Amino acid sequence: MSDQHSPEVKRNSLTEFFFAEEVPYGMAVVRMLLPAVLLLVMVPRWFHARELFSLDGAPAPLADNYGYFDFLPVPSGPMAVALATLLVLTLLTSSLGWCTRLSLCVSLVLYTYLNLLDCLSTLTKYSAIAAHGLLILSISNCGSVWSIDGFLKRRSLRYDRPEEPDLLKPKRYAVWPRRLIQLMIGIVYLGSAFTKMHTPAFFSSDQMLHWLLTNVNNSNPVGEYLSYYPATLVVSAYITILWEVLFVFLAWRGWNRFFMIGLGVAFHLGTTFLLGLYIFPLVCFAIYASFIYEEDIQRFTAFCKRVEERGSRLVSKLRAIGKSIGRAIPEATPRQGSLAFGAVVLLATFGGVGVEYQLDPMGTRRVEGAWPLKELDPATVVPMLQQSERIRESDKYLSFSIGSDMLGNVLMDRKDVFHHGEPIVAQCTLNPPHEDMWIECNLHDGDGRILDRVGQVADRTMLRVSYAFVLRESLLPGQYFLVIRSGGQEITRRPLTLISR
Amino acid sequence: MKRLIAVGTIFAYLGVLVAGLGSHALNYKTDAHPTMYFIVWDMFCGWSAYEDRTHIIGQGESGRYYDLAPAPWGDYRPFGDIERHHYDPFATHAGNLAMNTLRYSDHEPIQQIFVVQEAWAKKFNLPDELWAERYPEPKEPHSYFHVRKILGPNGMTQASNLAWFDHQSKLCLSDNPRLAADSNRGKPFLEMQSQVQVSDTGSRPTSHSQ
Repeated sequence: MSDQHSPEVKRNSLTEFFFAEEVPYGMAVVRMLLPAVLLLVMVPRWFHARELFSLDGAPAPLADNYGYFDFLPVPSGPMAVALATLLVLTLLTSSLGWCTRLSLCVSLVLYTYLNLLDCLSTLTKYSAIAAHGLLILSISNCGSVWSIDGFLKRRSLRYDRPEEPDLLKPKRYAVWPRRLIQLMIGIVYLGSAFTKMHTPAFFSSDQMLHWLLTNVNNSNPVGEYLSYYPATLVVSAYITILWEVLFVFLAWRGWNRFFMIGLGVAFHLGTTFLLGLYIFPLVCFAIYASFIYEEDIQRFTAFCKRVEERGSRLVSKLRAIGKSIGRAIPEATPRQGSLAFGAVVLLATFGGVGVEYQLDPMGTRRVEGAWPLKELDPATVVPMLQQSERIRESDKYLSFSIGSDMLGNVLMDRKDVFHHGEPIVAQCTLNPPHEDMWIECNLHDGDGRILDRVGQVADRTMLRVSYAFVLRESLLPGQYFLVIRSGGQEITRRPLTLISR
Repeated sequence: MKRLIAVGTIFAYLGVLVAGLGSHALNYKTDAHPTMYFIVWDMFCGWSAYEDRTHIIGQGESGRYYDLAPAPWGDYRPFGDIERHHYDPFATHAGNLAMNTLRYSDHEPIQQIFVVQEAWAKKFNLPDELWAERYPEPKEPHSYFHVRKILGPNGMTQASNLAWFDHQSKLCLSDNPRLAADSNRGKPFLEMQSQVQVSDTGSRPTSHSQ
């Protein structure tokens, strides 16, 4: 056995992996970004806190879906508003690094608690990922640099112990909290890969294709456009799953790190353009900052120094802004800072409850009295309450296309001009659920006369049927039609033009 | 001591993550407890060819119908253009939402609350210009309506039906006469509440998908 594989070397490298010391710049960036991203969703929710999270509104506890009723206590209206206000405030102070550990702990508890009270519009998987991020940040030393806490501490040391300049240097800490975030990201991607492995329709493009057409998230026009090209979805499905599986093994050092993170950025940007997701990618980008190493910051600082020496005004200006922010922070010892934090928390929380009371979002104290209900036209409602009708034949099919090549069992190209002897593939994609169907794809000439009749069974599990044709010289050049028939009726037709070679 | 606590934390945290991963990979007790939501990474696990929306309709003593969602003061739109009540795929919280609207509004006594699912093929979500490029036939969207639940005036469930998708799947299966006959023969005379309906939600979107 070589030395490299000896248990001692392995133990040492594992110790090095978790307990090497560094200045926690990467974690500081995560701390600045993640709470800021969560503020983007928590501030709009604050206006609805009474309705979403309290007994005065309509909370929707996640635990109810699991059969655990009364799993968590639901607060009263004013309490829910106070908690939501406190959460918004502590997310802000976490991001700024003011009383960092306390802010992060409070943020973690409140964020998770409020999310669990509203599974309809607050809790999502990005909330779960963000909760993990807050948990690890709260046990890390992310507030020691690039924070108000760090600034106050260094300023106080500068005055109190000017003879020990080494104390002003950023402290070094064991790297394990950053490793936990990095491993968490890798495990989330592995879990996501398992989800895809459990979903055969992911690899046939059907799952993604339908998500691209779904309108439950923000607008996604690029996704709607791409739904016409399922072959690209097949290719991207395999790239995605490879990236998700390999991430946890390769994303640590060197070019692999850039490659895996780069693919991650591309993937999450893709979810924005294709699916209309905004907060999920931002949460992921925020925690990607855990892959920023101390050396990266040193290299970046050296680069900025070189640029500044060459006379860059931008870097000088940024440095001046940083200094003026430092001057704007009042002279205070860390202890005074903590006391001020307590005062701000109290003031803001009570202020928040008062402001929300004045806003009266549900109109409980309206001068006009309680809201009238919107009356619905019986002509609209009565048909809605009838027995469900069966699905129309035309709704059972999603698309019908003609081309000549397939990739991963989906049509790769679309064309309507063919030469004699050229293979033609006609593909009909189906919408589940459907019963076992007999689907015909018939060849008609330009005058509508049926020339060839091809049918096949699509059992209830099938999502597409494909038909192969080769039009020989026995057919005259000209226009023809391929016609899809099902349930005894014509569903759709596509024209094609046949030309001689 | 500090190192020991750190090692313990690392083991505990990674242990929990790996347990979630294993549970998800092997599909073992993934729904055992609400906290599993935080360690099972099943984003975008479901899909459907049909878009669906939820209508919560109250019927007053006079027979008039009222819209109970969105609430008259306006509803929260969490992830896009649609209101909160549309993200309740199992209609678990519809009663709660309806009662909240009734609590803060002026209305005649309400007799019944209907939770109606509306569904349409997602191809009709395509904008008109893309539709024209892809389909020779005119765009004629059609919505299917399906009463999911009937609630009493206190929000308690009086009747509950399968979700539209499951209902339609069942109809498709019932096209097989032998299966339909066997199924009818197999129906118990008395229905026990101890029965658990195990349904595959793998092809339906859930609100927790993001």
